Amino acid sequence: MKEKRYVMGDAAIARGALEAGVRVVAGYPGTPATEIVDECLGVPGVHVEWANNEKVAFELCTGASLCHVRAMPVMKHNGTNFVTDFLMHVNFTGIRGGLVLISADDPGGLSSQNEEDTRILVHQYAHLPVFDPCSPQEAKAMVKEAFDLSEKTELVFCLRPVTRVCHARGIIEFEDLPKDLPAAHYEPDRERFIMSAVEMPKFGGVKRPQIRHRWLNEKQALLQEIMEESLYNWIEEGKGKIGLVGCGMGYTLIKEAEQYLGQKLPLLKLGTLPLPRKKMKEFVQGLEKVVIFEETEPFVEGLFKRIFHEEKVEVEVLGRSGFVPSDGELNVQMILETIAKAAPGVKVTQPAVPALDVHIPIRTRTQCVGCNYRGILNALKQTVRKYKGIVAGDIGCHDAGSFRPMELQSTIYCMGSSVPMGSGMVLAGVNRPVFAFIGDSTLYHNGILGLMNAANNKINVNVILGENTVTAMTGFQPHPGTGVTLAGEKTTPVNVPKLAESMGISYRVVNPYDIKQCREALEAAIKEEGPSLIVSSMPCYLLSTRQGKKVFEPREVRLDPERCNGCMICINDFGCPAISINKQQKKIGIDPMICVGCALCVDVCKRGAIS
Amino acid sequence: MKMDVVITGVGGQGNIFASLVISQYAMNKKLNVLGAETIGAAQRGGSVVSHIRISDGTIFSPLISRGQADLLLGMEYVEMLRHMRLLNPEGTYLLNAMRIPTVLNNMGLDEYPTTEEILQAAKKYCPNGHVIEASALARKLGNIQMTNVVMLGALVKIMPFFDYDEVKWLVQANSPTRFQEANVKGYEEGYELIRNN
Repeated sequence: MKEKRYVMGDAAIARGALEAGVRVVAGYPGTPATEIVDECLGVPGVHVEWANNEKVAFELCTGASLCHVRAMPVMKHNGTNFVTDFLMHVNFTGIRGGLVLISADDPGGLSSQNEEDTRILVHQYAHLPVFDPCSPQEAKAMVKEAFDLSEKTELVFCLRPVTRVCHARGIIEFEDLPKDLPAAHYEPDRERFIMSAVEMPKFGGVKRPQIRHRWLNEKQALLQEIMEESLYNWIEEGKGKIGLVGCGMGYTLIKEAEQYLGQKLPLLKLGTLPLPRKKMKEFVQGLEKVVIFEETEPFVEGLFKRIFHEEKVEVEVLGRSGFVPSDGELNVQMILETIAKAAPGVKVTQPAVPALDVHIPIRTRTQCVGCNYRGILNALKQTVRKYKGIVAGDIGCHDAGSFRPMELQSTIYCMGSSVPMGSGMVLAGVNRPVFAFIGDSTLYHNGILGLMNAANNKINVNVILGENTVTAMTGFQPHPGTGVTLAGEKTTPVNVPKLAESMGISYRVVNPYDIKQCREALEAAIKEEGPSLIVSSMPCYLLSTRQGKKVFEPREVRLDPERCNGCMICINDFGCPAISINKQQKKIGIDPMICVGCALCVDVCKRGAIS
Repeated sequence: MKMDVVITGVGGQGNIFASLVISQYAMNKKLNVLGAETIGAAQRGGSVVSHIRISDGTIFSPLISRGQADLLLGMEYVEMLRHMRLLNPEGTYLLNAMRIPTVLNNMGLDEYPTTEEILQAAKKYCPNGHVIEASALARKLGNIQMTNVVMLGALVKIMPFFDYDEVKWLVQANSPTRFQEANVKGYEEGYELIRNN
């Protein structure tokens, strides 16, 4: 039975996988891919889980695939970076049950620490095929086909949806789910699945890595053949000698831009890697130049140049190597401006809109009102100021402590880098107290390795664990410290004090709603030689509120305007959105509509003006 | 026919609920619908925008381009201004009289424009606008979170595209059971709010 539903691209991808008979889905939360895992939940016989990290998810899915079961690891681009080592082995061994890697990219870094193009990693580096969808509907179809093709070619297939596909909503046709899924079975095949530098007698003693590399290279011809016939690449006819090429979302935006063009230009829509060589050659016949629109790097552009060089085709190839802006997300304006530049004869008519004659303040994100991180961050801010400390930061809700007004963390890179980076600062001999601030989901992702390293090498770094017992930033996914699985089954949460004990690290558990206690613990940690751990432990306020649980007793917070002298400490060192300064009166105000009564600001104020 | 709608606000104001109701309404009318949302990091008090594209023809991009929106729903002053240029100056806007200062405003390092400046700029850009006290009404009804349903009620009043009873049913159907009654009330009073304007 077919049914039409209005759902997010991520749900369309999940549905495609379920209709293809996926049996194991594992991922680590990351915008814009998170909802794909969530949406797979609830189908009998399909195991869906949040893994500690993307590498664990990918390896787990590969194990399932080797038992002839279809599996899908789900991650955002940073996760794909993290699994590169494994990817560079599984590409050589190949797989058994269909294995489709979802690697979601976030052009423009809308919800990311960086922007990047994982097509390069998966296709150029690992020589694996990639589908680049132009819409939620196409993403669904691609996932289904990728499972079949993965089995046919014995290779991992990758779907690379961008944010505007993942978080678009569209009308999606839901088809029936398969009734019977094939049973798992395993047969050893050590020549494939033991990746080791061992001589292969069959190949005159050549070592296995080289032979497996040869195997992967030989697969490329089959992939080429498949993509030449793929329904995700097509040519649309048009007038003139200038052609447009749209890859994935680039195609969609060109179609949107067409309404403003005086004529239809020849258009090549691309959705696959490897590229369809024959179709490319056919498209450029009679053209002088082509302009390629792709997210984000000039990757297809580079392949065009190489292929046309090999094929001795003379055509000018332009794209994101500079002709189209080389950073950020594509948009209709950018496409129209580029077309005007590439084809000055084509009339571009986009309705002009007047400028807006008013200053629009920028809105940066911060922690929620009532968030427990604000307490420990304030205690840390005070301590850092007093002792000239440095703070290495990490990924998670606490990262907003690095923005104005707090400006506390001095570094933020990727998952788990806080503790090793802080360790390095200590080892460099800065002679100042060094802190590393990390959340619990990030600790279990891989941050624990840095902690263990600090313990093992006796590095005098002070690690603060913001233990809110959930992956809050991406929407409250459970992790090994939560005590419950994605499917809602109870498990044993990791006991951090015991973990610290086993590593020989001194630890102090504090309540982040008690700033004084936090400060004392931080000072004690500084005075101690060797690594120390502060466990700032309190469930996420937002999640607890939604669950009807209290993490503090809310009370009415009052300001005594007589005592407030406008010193700004409660704003600069605390940054609660409910507190603002009145410049004329040189006094702060607390907005009762925003305040949730956590009363942390009472402890922050040095003049006793807040009670 | 086409109807491009932009909903702007601050994380937590209920953009997505409003966007789902509008999208489902269009879907029930057998029209094509395509939407886009900024979510994720934007949940934490950041700027949030939803695009909803409705048409009886093919829709390509989930994002509305400059000057194309027929309707702009502003749940907060500066968030509406931030996306105002997506609106066709001949279109319509519906603005909630609500200011949520930014972190830098709170610090006194950036100015939040005055209400007069905001309303003037909006009017100069697009003459056809309605400014309503949706959050104040929601608060009076017991929960500021109902701002979105109040806005939906007002929206139905000003846009003949929407049918009062059908949207009301969708507001109810999309609300958690314990909020159904209150949300429907908010919707009804939001509809009346425009008549009283």
